Amino acid sequence: MAGRLNQTVIVGAMLALFGIAATLASFQIEIDRDGGWGARIFPLAGSVALVVLGLVELLKGLREGRVTALPAFNAWAIAGLLVVALFYVWAIGVAGYLIATAIAAPLAMLLFGIRDWRALVATAILCPAIYHLIFFEGLGVFPPLGRWFDLLDVIQGY
Amino acid sequence: MDIFAALGNVITDPVLMLWVLAAAIVGMVAGAIPGLTASAAIAMLLPLTFYMEPLSALAFLYVIGKSGRYGGSISAILFNTPGTAASAATQIDGYPLAQRGMASKAMKVATISSVIGDYTGDILLIFGVGLIAAVALRLGPPELFAIYFAAFVVIGSVIGKSITRGLASAVLGVLVNMIGLDPISAEARFTFGSFDLTNGVSLVPLMIGIFVLGEVFSQIEARHSPVEIVDTSRDHDARARNRLSWAEYRPCMPHVIRSSLIGSFIGVLPGLGSSIAAFVAYGEGKRRARNPEEWGHGALEGIAAPESANNAVSGPSMAPLLTLGIPGSTIGAILMGVFLIHGIQIGPTLLITSRELIFSLFACGLIGIAMYGTIGYFGAAWVGRFIIRIPTNVLYPVIFLTSFIAAFASRGNLFDVLVMVLAGFGGWLMKKFDFNPAAFVISFVLAGGAEETFRQSLLLSHNGLLIFVTRPVALAFLIIGVAALVLRARTLGRQAKEAALNDA
Repeated sequence: MAGRLNQTVIVGAMLALFGIAATLASFQIEIDRDGGWGARIFPLAGSVALVVLGLVELLKGLREGRVTALPAFNAWAIAGLLVVALFYVWAIGVAGYLIATAIAAPLAMLLFGIRDWRALVATAILCPAIYHLIFFEGLGVFPPLGRWFDLLDVIQGY
Repeated sequence: MDIFAALGNVITDPVLMLWVLAAAIVGMVAGAIPGLTASAAIAMLLPLTFYMEPLSALAFLYVIGKSGRYGGSISAILFNTPGTAASAATQIDGYPLAQRGMASKAMKVATISSVIGDYTGDILLIFGVGLIAAVALRLGPPELFAIYFAAFVVIGSVIGKSITRGLASAVLGVLVNMIGLDPISAEARFTFGSFDLTNGVSLVPLMIGIFVLGEVFSQIEARHSPVEIVDTSRDHDARARNRLSWAEYRPCMPHVIRSSLIGSFIGVLPGLGSSIAAFVAYGEGKRRARNPEEWGHGALEGIAAPESANNAVSGPSMAPLLTLGIPGSTIGAILMGVFLIHGIQIGPTLLITSRELIFSLFACGLIGIAMYGTIGYFGAAWVGRFIIRIPTNVLYPVIFLTSFIAAFASRGNLFDVLVMVLAGFGGWLMKKFDFNPAAFVISFVLAGGAEETFRQSLLLSHNGLLIFVTRPVALAFLIIGVAALVLRARTLGRQAKEAALNDA
C-alpha cells in the first residue's frame, strides 16, 4: 500500500494542512493597538507561505506521471528508539536522572543490538555515574530531580 | 597587524593552545566517523562551553568545525563512506586510490589541500572582514531585511533536491522561532496556553535534536551495515608507494588555488556550505584538467580540488555572521548562540566592541589549521584505524544518552529535553523526505533578526512596504533572492528533463 502512495502528494497535503493550522493560529495573535500588524505579520506571512508551498508540492505530485513511493524505513527500530527517548524524558521527570539513565542506557544498547547481559549491567551502572560526575559534579549543572522519587535524596540526603 | 598581536597572545596561552589542540583532534575524529558531522559534535559539546572563557569556547568550537570538515576525507578515502556531505566529492577519487594501496598518499594530498584551502579562506576573512563590517555599518533595517530575505531564499532553494521542500524547511524554521512571547509587544504567539512554550524554543536543544539525535535515528536503521577499512599496511613497498613527492603534488597546485578561491566565494554566501563548494570545485577542476579521463579513477587532482574548496569555506562563512549577524552555515549558527550566551552582541559593531576577541579567534583558527594539518599528515591512517575499532553499536547509544544531558545542561530545563527529542525525530523525518534540516536550523536562527528589521522598516515607512523597493541596496538583495530561486528552478527543471529523456 505504502509503495502506491504518491509521496509528493502526501508531503504537499501535510504542508498545506500544517500551514492552514498555523494561519488560523496566527489570527489568534493580537495586532497592534494603532492598527499595525505588529506581532502577527511574521507568523502569518510564514504560515501563508507554507500553505502556498504545500499547494505547489501537491499540484506537482498530482501532475507527476509516475508514483513516487514513500521512503523505506525500519519502523520497529525507529518506533522503539522514539518510545525509549520519550520514556527517558518522562522517567527523568518522575524518578530523577540516575534511575532514568540506569533504565534508558541498557534499553538503548539493546536497540543497537548489544545482547551481552554483563555489558548491559555495566552500562546501567556506569552511564548514570559517569554522566553525573561530569555534568552535575564537574560542571555544576543542577540535576533534574524526580517528582516521585530521586536516588540523589538517598545518596546525598534531603 | 591585529592578527600578529593575537597570534602572539594565543601562542603564549598554554590553556588556550590545549583547547585548540583538543578541538583539532575531536573535530578530526568526529568528522571521520561516518554519520557524525562536525555540526553534531559541536552541538553536543556546546553546553560544555557555557562553563568556559568566551575565547576558549569560541576557539574550541570554531576549530572543531575546521578539523571536522577535513576529518570527513579520512572516512571518504579509507572507508568509502564520506564522513561529511562535502567529502563525498573527495571519495570519488580518494577511494579508488586507496584500493590501489595508496590510501596514505591520498590522505596526504587531502591534508595538504585542506590546509592550503583553509589558510586561503582564513586569510581572506581576516583581511576582508573589516571591509564588509564597514559596509554593513551603513546598512539600515530595510537593507538588512532584504539580505535576510535573500538568505532565506538561497538557503531554502539552493541546497537539496526539491526547491519547495527546501523553502518549506526554511519557513518551518521561521515558524518554530515565532513560538513564545513577541519580543516587542510580549504578545503570546503559537503557545496554545502552554507555560513552557512562552519561553520559546531554545536553539541548543533544537540543534542537538536535529544534528545529533536525528543522526542516531538514522544510524539505528544502518546498524547492521558494518564499515570496512581499506588496507593501510606499513611494509617497505607500501611506504614507498605512499610517499608523496613535490613532482606528484605540483599538478594539483592550480586546482588547489582555483578551488580555494571558489570555496572562499561560496563560503561568504549564506547557507551554501562546504558540499556545494566541493562539488563545484570538482566539476570545475575536471573541466579544466589536462587528464580528465583519470578523474574518478584515482587522480590526485580529484582529491586536491574538492578538499581545498571544502575547507576554504570555513573562514569566509564566518564573514556574514561576524559583520551582519547572519550565520552562513550551521556551525556559524551554533557559534552565534555561543556569542549570545557569553553576552557578546554580534553584528557590524562587533569589530569595534570585541576586536581583540575576534582576532584572537582568527589566530586560534590559523593555529588549529596547522595542528590538524600536522596530525592529519602523519596520523590520518592511525585515526582511521582508531575509528574502525569504535563499535557503532556502543558509540551511538552513548551519543543518544549524551544528547539528553547536553540538551538539559543548556538551560537546566526538562522541557528542552522534550524539544530535543521531538526535533531529533523531526530531523530524521526531514532527511527521509528530502527536506533540508540545515535550512530549517539556519532559518530558525535568522528569523528573529529578520522580523526585527522588517518591523523597524515598517516603522520607518509608516507601514509602507515600498521602502524595500525604493532603497537600491534593499532592492538589489530582493532581486538576488528571486534570481537565485528562478535559476535553481530552471536548473532542476533541466535536470528533470534530461533524466526523463535518459529513462526513455
